[in-house]
Amino acid sequence: MPTKRSIVSQCIEGIFLKYLLFVLLSLHLFAVDASLTIEKDVEQRARIALIDGSEQFNPLAWKILLSDFKISGHFLSDTKHYTGDLASNYIPASLKNREYVIKYKLSTTPKSTLWVRLLEASSGKELFQKRYRISMESKLPFLLHKAISDINNVLHYSKIDWINRYVIFSRYVKAKQSEIVLADYTFSYQKVIVRGGLNLFPIWADAKQKSFYYTSYASLRPTLYRLNIYTGSKEKIVASEGMVVCSDVNHNGSKILLTLAPQGQADIYELTLSSKQKRRITQFHGIDVNAKYSKDEESIVFVSNRLGHANIFKKSLQGSAVLPVVFHGKNNNACDSYGDKVVYTSRESSHSFSQNSFNLYLTSTQGGVTRPLTTTGSNQFPRFSRDGSIVQFIKYRGNSSSIGYINLETSQSLLFPFKSKKIQSIAW
Amino acid sequence: MFQKKLLFFTLGFVFLFSGCGQVAPNPSEIETGRNNVSDTTEIAPQTVSIDEGGFGSGETSATTDGATGSYNSSANGFQSVYFPFGEYEVDESQMQRNIDRAKETQGKIKLEGNCDEFGTDEYNYALGLKRAQAVKESLINHGIASGRIFIVSFGESNPVCTVSSDACYLQNRRVDFRLVK
Repeated sequence: MPTKRSIVSQCIEGIFLKYLLFVLLSLHLFAVDASLTIEKDVEQRARIALIDGSEQFNPLAWKILLSDFKISGHFLSDTKHYTGDLASNYIPASLKNREYVIKYKLSTTPKSTLWVRLLEASSGKELFQKRYRISMESKLPFLLHKAISDINNVLHYSKIDWINRYVIFSRYVKAKQSEIVLADYTFSYQKVIVRGGLNLFPIWADAKQKSFYYTSYASLRPTLYRLNIYTGSKEKIVASEGMVVCSDVNHNGSKILLTLAPQGQADIYELTLSSKQKRRITQFHGIDVNAKYSKDEESIVFVSNRLGHANIFKKSLQGSAVLPVVFHGKNNNACDSYGDKVVYTSRESSHSFSQNSFNLYLTSTQGGVTRPLTTTGSNQFPRFSRDGSIVQFIKYRGNSSSIGYINLETSQSLLFPFKSKKIQSIAW
Repeated sequence: MFQKKLLFFTLGFVFLFSGCGQVAPNPSEIETGRNNVSDTTEIAPQTVSIDEGGFGSGETSATTDGATGSYNSSANGFQSVYFPFGEYEVDESQMQRNIDRAKETQGKIKLEGNCDEFGTDEYNYALGLKRAQAVKESLINHGIASGRIFIVSFGESNPVCTVSSDACYLQNRRVDFRLVK
């Protein structure tokens, strides 16, 4: 026979359980959305771990793999070096909370070979596997980049093909002497492709990176050549007293923007390669240089000192009006363009030679917010990737030099130090 | 009792379906690698390496003029002309010796515009060219035939001093003169 007290107790317990049930069900109902919201707002990158099945640890390869994953903006990689059997689908329990595990094996004899497997971390299920091979061991960095871009594509993330591209740059070796170098984006691979004399301003002539333009000082008048990197065939494009620089190449490679000074006056010209016809785009008694195609190649942005100091301007290729793009700084002397986006270098300090000399900014030809991309050191040679998602630059800080990359979407950045020979110009 | 069973059932339901928010690709959408063949062919071919040596290897060295104490990296009796940071206006007081020397000589005069290491790529070359052009105009204004003079910019590629000091950088912001035979 239940007592009055036990009846009251049961009623309270019943009410409590009902509320508890309601709370638990509500939590679950909203948990999925909550979970998705958190993932979207806080962390969209896939958590991954790498398991190395190589017989010998290759620290350079390990570093490159981590860099590739990081700068992609799509992966959050463990920095711990795990080892394990490449062929096995076994995933250690401690790694099962990652989304993916990448198993790889590297061998450098007789050829550089890389085996890669992408596994689902929770189940060990194989999602992708491939073997990469190249005869030149020095090109190993390209194998690694290719594997990571393939994994990225398999998972349907936005493309990061830019990591597979050659970087080309010129560097000074001594007074009036420079060399042009091919590199991968991390500068881990480097090969001198033009040496001897003064050869400057290399820029890719085509999207497939088979040829590039450069300025040679081998004769009395600076001369622009196009060189095929596989055959060595060289074609003279144009010569000019004073200076000649190819500043940009249009999308299909049929036209180029030049800085020429036929009467000692640096102005911007557009050259149609098929007809060799030159068209003068700017006419100013000061300095007009560094022209870049902008806005579907209907206009250009360029550097000019027409307001008394170096600054970034824009101009339609058909019209005559010249308008400033940047409204701060007193020495904005280099820029690059992608669509409406403009990245430029600005000298920050009033003293000519202070340490914190040059920073990079991102702005638009259509106005709007200007955003600083760097805050320390001397940051120069800003260059957009071909998809406009990444900005490449050279950073000098103290006695060190690095090539840097900024992912504009994720704001992640990476620096790769290199031995300090002064860079003259760089293209991607 | 029924409510307790319902509670355990609900708890089981919640735990069973928790974790569905994990972002995992649909396996049907995953492309599986095929045939294990390398497709790195676009970077595999050997690239050339060419040597364009023979020109430009002559380094320029600065000397100090004993009479005036000024630096000089020009040749053939000329005196280099120096510029303040970022400027390309000629200080005519530096020109007299060069005008006299130009009148004494025959043949072509090459003017090489130079900059310090500050500034970036193209702008520096254009600045060096403006300096050379300004010196050329000064020479023309003093009666030297324009056909005798040609100009070139070496930007920051031809420093005569590499010490980090304002005095050193000043030596690099200059126009050098050479007689071309």
